[in-house]
Amino acid sequence: MLKKRVIFTLLYDRGSFMLSRNFRLQKVGNLQWLKKNYDFSKIAFSIDELIILDVSRSERDEKMFCEHVKKLTEECFVPITAGGGIRSVVQSRRLLCSGADKIVVNSLLAANPALVFVLASEFGRQCIVASVDARRSADGYEVWMYNGGRLQDGSLGDWLTNLMDLPIGELYLNSMDRDGTGQGYDFALLDHLPRPMPIPVILAGGAGKYQHLADGLSEQRVDAVATAHLFNFVGDGLEHARIGLIGSGHNLPVWDRNTAQEMKDIFKR
Amino acid sequence: MAGRQVAVIDYGMGNVWSVLSAFRYLGGEATLTDDPDQIITADFLVLPGVGSFRKAMDSIRKAGMDKAIHEAVKIRGSKILGICLGMQLLAAFGSEDGETAGLGLIGNRVDPFTPLELGHRKLPHVGFNTVRFNEQAGLFRDLPGQPDFYFVHSYRMLIENLVGRHAICSYGTDFLAAFETENICGTQFHPEKSQTNGLTLLRNFLYL
Repeated sequence: MLKKRVIFTLLYDRGSFMLSRNFRLQKVGNLQWLKKNYDFSKIAFSIDELIILDVSRSERDEKMFCEHVKKLTEECFVPITAGGGIRSVVQSRRLLCSGADKIVVNSLLAANPALVFVLASEFGRQCIVASVDARRSADGYEVWMYNGGRLQDGSLGDWLTNLMDLPIGELYLNSMDRDGTGQGYDFALLDHLPRPMPIPVILAGGAGKYQHLADGLSEQRVDAVATAHLFNFVGDGLEHARIGLIGSGHNLPVWDRNTAQEMKDIFKR
Repeated sequence: MAGRQVAVIDYGMGNVWSVLSAFRYLGGEATLTDDPDQIITADFLVLPGVGSFRKAMDSIRKAGMDKAIHEAVKIRGSKILGICLGMQLLAAFGSEDGETAGLGLIGNRVDPFTPLELGHRKLPHVGFNTVRFNEQAGLFRDLPGQPDFYFVHSYRMLIENLVGRHAICSYGTDFLAAFETENICGTQFHPEKSQTNGLTLLRNFLYL
């Protein structure tokens, strides 16, 4: 049976990894710091997928971002999705040659849907993850683009329905209200999904502890749960969460984390 | 155990970096190549890839890599591992974008999942799914009884008359998830994206 997924999302801003709360960023540390203090290798063997988003608020350095993706994926053997500010085929290919399997697009979906078709014909629609940032409003939800900087016309439901006409492989649905708060996912977002929903849904925004991941995975409309909360799942936090989730019967893939060290450099001994 | 040299064949499609990284993690010396001479002399060949069967075969033929792969595998007895589209390219035919001849190292065909097989299931088949083996040895040594591997594909191969060890996955139908027949191996899933289950399989490949 096809498994659900626990995804870790890393937020990147010009050489640093960030914590986000309601889309306001706080610097955590650079790559070296992440590997050392946050034991990234441990996190890497406790997740089903890694998403790396360039959320740089000022001008992006694409080359440097690709270098970071490469470094992160050297010892991370799960599907990798990368994105943030993608505007061309060349830029996408560069990410896909740096260890990424899929690319994330968000503002591009509104700014240049024609390019989304080009990307899909070049790399396949399974390669394209549509990211949507939604915020509660007086009468439902509104959609924001450009790192939450620009309001999109229309409701969340309308926007999601429109997206289904584009060649996309997955939906990354993020709550701006819950982002980084650790208050749990906003399941009401799911009520705005098209029915039937033809592609997998990744729910993001708000997971702060084990129970939130469990709640997300229990929701039938959710195929994957994502968390970007570095602090809450630091060290073996995510590992324990995973063991707990599998132990309580959640439909996640299983592997033996302990053999990772045995396998490292086995052909150099 | 030192000195496992792996030539990863580069024909411009798919995530080759992760394949290189996985072999390097194991301590193998993995290099990327599109040079037929280097392909002919390699002991371990890996054919990765994601994308269109026809486009891939066109690039491989144009660079003369098809002949080099044949000479390495059929004459020199080099081991080859095809991953995802790479496994499909080892087959005789693919029906993507019209009938296209593959490398023909095995006699199987590559066809899309049919609507009848799929039922309500989504395409592509993406994500971790469970496989089962006919024999837990060789390429499948030391793996759990029913391990999970990461898949992303819309076309599939069936077992047909393939001999040797194989793994089966179910997605509407039982399809060929991996195989080892003499020196020819393939995985429809991505071992380089399947955590320690995948690393174990890649290690096994280098022990064959």
